[in-house]
Amino acid sequence: MNTCRIETPRTCAEASALLQALPDARVLAGGTDVVVRLKDQLIWPPLVEISRLAELHGMTEVDGWLRLGALSTWTEIERAALTARHADVLVEAAREVGSPQIRNRGTLGGNVANASPAGDSLPALIVLDAELELRGTQSTRRVAVAQFCCAPGKTVLAHDELIVAIWVPVRAGWRGAFVRLGQRAALAISKVSVAVRVLRADGIVQDSRITLGAVAPTVLRVPEAEAVLRGQRLSAAVMQAAAEVVCAAARPITDIRSNEPYRRAMCGELLQRALARLAEPTNPSDPSDPSDPSDKIT
Amino acid sequence: MNDLRVVGQSVVRIDGLEKVTGAAKYVDDLEFGPGLLYACIVESPVAHALIKKIDTRAAEALPGVVKVVTGADFPYKFGLYMKDRYIFANERVRFVGEQVAAVIAWDAKTAARAAALVNVTYEELPAIFNPCAALEKDAPLIHPDLGKYNYVPWFFPKANTNIAHWRKTRKGDIEKGFREADLVLEDTYTVPRYAHCAIETHAIVGLYDMSGRLTLWSASQSPFTQRNVIAESLAPLGITHKDVRVVTPYIGGGFGGKAGVSMEIMGAALATVVKGHPVKMMWSRAQEFYNTYQRQGVVAKIKMGVKKNGTITALEHTLYWDAGAYVEYGANVVNAAGLSATNPYKIDNIAIDSVCIYTNLPPGGPYRGFGYSEFSFGIESHITRAATALKMDPVAFRKRNAIKEGDLLPYGAPMNANGLAEAIDKVAAEIKWGVPEPARDPTKKIGKSLVLFWKAPAMPPNAASSAFLKFNEDASLNILISGMEIGQGLLTVMAQIASEILTVPVSKIRVETPDTDRNPYEWQTVGSHVTWGCGNAVKRAALDAREQIFALVQRVYCLEKDALYLEDEQVKCRTKADFVLPLRQFVIAGIQAEDHTYKGGPIMGRGVFMPEFASAIGDPETGQGGHPNVHYTTGAAGVILEVDTQTGKMKIRKAVLAVDAGKAINPDLVRGQIIGGLMQGFATVLYEDMRFSAKGKLLNPNFSDYKIPTALDTPDEVVPIIVETPQPDGPFGARGIAEHTMIPCAALIANALEDACGARITAMPVTAEKVALRLNQCSANA
Repeated sequence: MNTCRIETPRTCAEASALLQALPDARVLAGGTDVVVRLKDQLIWPPLVEISRLAELHGMTEVDGWLRLGALSTWTEIERAALTARHADVLVEAAREVGSPQIRNRGTLGGNVANASPAGDSLPALIVLDAELELRGTQSTRRVAVAQFCCAPGKTVLAHDELIVAIWVPVRAGWRGAFVRLGQRAALAISKVSVAVRVLRADGIVQDSRITLGAVAPTVLRVPEAEAVLRGQRLSAAVMQAAAEVVCAAARPITDIRSNEPYRRAMCGELLQRALARLAEPTNPSDPSDPSDPSDKIT
Repeated sequence: MNDLRVVGQSVVRIDGLEKVTGAAKYVDDLEFGPGLLYACIVESPVAHALIKKIDTRAAEALPGVVKVVTGADFPYKFGLYMKDRYIFANERVRFVGEQVAAVIAWDAKTAARAAALVNVTYEELPAIFNPCAALEKDAPLIHPDLGKYNYVPWFFPKANTNIAHWRKTRKGDIEKGFREADLVLEDTYTVPRYAHCAIETHAIVGLYDMSGRLTLWSASQSPFTQRNVIAESLAPLGITHKDVRVVTPYIGGGFGGKAGVSMEIMGAALATVVKGHPVKMMWSRAQEFYNTYQRQGVVAKIKMGVKKNGTITALEHTLYWDAGAYVEYGANVVNAAGLSATNPYKIDNIAIDSVCIYTNLPPGGPYRGFGYSEFSFGIESHITRAATALKMDPVAFRKRNAIKEGDLLPYGAPMNANGLAEAIDKVAAEIKWGVPEPARDPTKKIGKSLVLFWKAPAMPPNAASSAFLKFNEDASLNILISGMEIGQGLLTVMAQIASEILTVPVSKIRVETPDTDRNPYEWQTVGSHVTWGCGNAVKRAALDAREQIFALVQRVYCLEKDALYLEDEQVKCRTKADFVLPLRQFVIAGIQAEDHTYKGGPIMGRGVFMPEFASAIGDPETGQGGHPNVHYTTGAAGVILEVDTQTGKMKIRKAVLAVDAGKAINPDLVRGQIIGGLMQGFATVLYEDMRFSAKGKLLNPNFSDYKIPTALDTPDEVVPIIVETPQPDGPFGARGIAEHTMIPCAALIANALEDACGARITAMPVTAEKVALRLNQCSANA
């Protein structure tokens, strides 16, 4: 039988040192991507298992920022009052991930590090203007999520660096929505996903963020579509105009999960549905109230 | 039959507790001790090639490797209906993933590592992935020796072509039928391949011991067929039927995929080279997709003539089957479809051609529905289109043409008793046929459809069943059968049948999965025929035991046998009210006579059932004259479908299926089959989508990329309906219903989609993407 080396560091410094010492090591968090990829391989790389790193756990509000420990699970994000208050769109994305078992194991940091163009956290984090706290043997740095991924599976993360936390700026008045399409209602990698966040005053859009998932090598932000919304009410015509812009901006491919024309068309359709939801009157009594399940595209 | 006590009751399944608690044992759970070896195969990376050289030296040198074998070690053919396969490829490979060699090692990972070290040199040949291309004049031959193969007498292979079998069915005068028609409608329908997706992958453990006995622990629906096929194939090694023992513990789903013999023959062969050591082989999920059986794809060309009054006057139905690299089992799927591709309609003039075509894709074979789901998509789509073209109601059109008892079947024999008309009416009422339903929001549209189905068990005419029934001291029973519990509830139903006859409660009856040494013969658990066939054998065994009991009581007590009856595990007498003799007093020990001697002895029932009226031999040019199918089970199904016209997503608001069970021995189990069958059928039409590369490699042999629905994708409401028109030769009137429940699904969706938004899709699957693209949203936006 063959064996697998698993390291269980107690501090970030220890973890980074291990990574530096083991050039082929992989970081193991929830394992919902890493283990799936390794399970059929005959030889496993050394694994640096990071669940004991206290700094990577927990959620707090600090100086106008929401700090999400990188090991926050989808279930924690779904249920926490802090995320409900400051990261509505991330909560919606969290609900769409996998199954209850996967949401209990899978972590936000892991999803970001995996850098899948279809990763559900990325479009949501980018519309939130979220930043990542990266720590290596030498230093700690902050990188915008929007700057983190460079290609499918490729990021700016150095081998000795860990994602320690995800920082979300706390901003009043913004509302967001996340909509996705998969081959089935759950447990399906997104064919297309759309995250949107809008700041309105008296119904007029002051500012917005629109991102598309799974239709380009990395998550695509579409400033041209944001420009269409600026200064407008969310009328059917405006939403339609924005939809046309995102369809044109998308760079989808045909692969085993979907076809290029469908993905392109669905960018617009999903954006309209997301915006239509935001156009509805808010329910200020309970912002964490899950949206009507019939709202979901199933 | 109104006084039935147990038959017709929803008795809780006797294997339920074991399974829900996780205690039930499957092949992979069995322990074989420290001598256990593991095998891993070497797979062909190419779809069609000659094997020029196999170098096993590096693999043999790896520590932990016990043996490396290749096709040259086992130059023996096998096959259920046509012997067209070798145990390991000899000389030629015919699909990506085919077994070329195997490594046996002390652990599974070493076996896998060594398999990767086996160096095979191939000379690639042109490959064919499309059945129509395989028919072209200069198409490469996939089986150049086809003319020399052995096969059953009802197959008609064409030597020096890629046609492995051609079933022709002709009735009436097809030209006259088209002349009489007011409308002739033609189109082509395409159905791709599908995978069974059973939870448990295939598994085999083989042990060849020092006495020359070959024992196989197999995840199989077919222990006796495995014994037979394996004994025949390995006969050159001196192995005979008595030496082969097949033990089949519970299986985690079969759906046809674990019928016949596929990878198991390798386990048997490998065991012979490591005498005394059990050797285990367990398929990975990927192998489960590409190296067992796949449901065959088909291109169906339909030409139908109809009169203005709605009578179908003629049907020309040509089915080109993508049967894959080997058709040892799959050719009989083609045959079954060729006998029945009218669906349950009385059509006087027919010409059916069902053509089994070799391709360089994985072997096709049995899959729940056995060809009927495949042709149902085309013909039931076509029926609705013909009705619509005539401006007739599609349900009225179906009722007008629906087959009745005594109408002649495509092959000329009369149709059996059936409740098809009742099924149609009940389904139509349940979906409120003809009453439009408003959609809930402007992007959605609602459509309805109603579709008929039928199916006969596809089996050799001499597929026999048998049963032993043994009483114990306490009048409890052990029933020995080789019908397989594959999740359908067979063990429970067999206990109910014996209980009904012998008055022993089900709780005192033990029925277990087969062991061919202990249990008597059953051909296979396929074709939805075991409730009927094995049920008849068990009923006969119970009647045989009862007859022994009554004969003994008559002999000892001088009571008229005809006056005796059983009640509450006691023998009673209609002419002697005070006579009560509990079974437990004598079923083992015998009855003590007045002279203190004992009469009788252990009561053991024996039952055999053979459909003695069946014959597979008809005119090869017309199919007329034989009686290849024992009977047809019929039914109707309907849906209310909601279509999102933008995303193409479809939600089934309501699904209804009525099936004529003859007699539902256990109504809950019938309802379970209806619900499960509908789910599996909807999966094939809405979600599952097998993708091959241009070189014939399956691109999605996993559940990440080959999607089957989850609980969240189920219909809002499912209504199972049981119709009971007794099958005269079935146990208590029962006939099979299991496969049937998935057959109508594809046409249900296609027809309801058209009803909802006018789009007609003639190529499965009917996925959201395909619907959205058809509804033109995508091109407009793009």
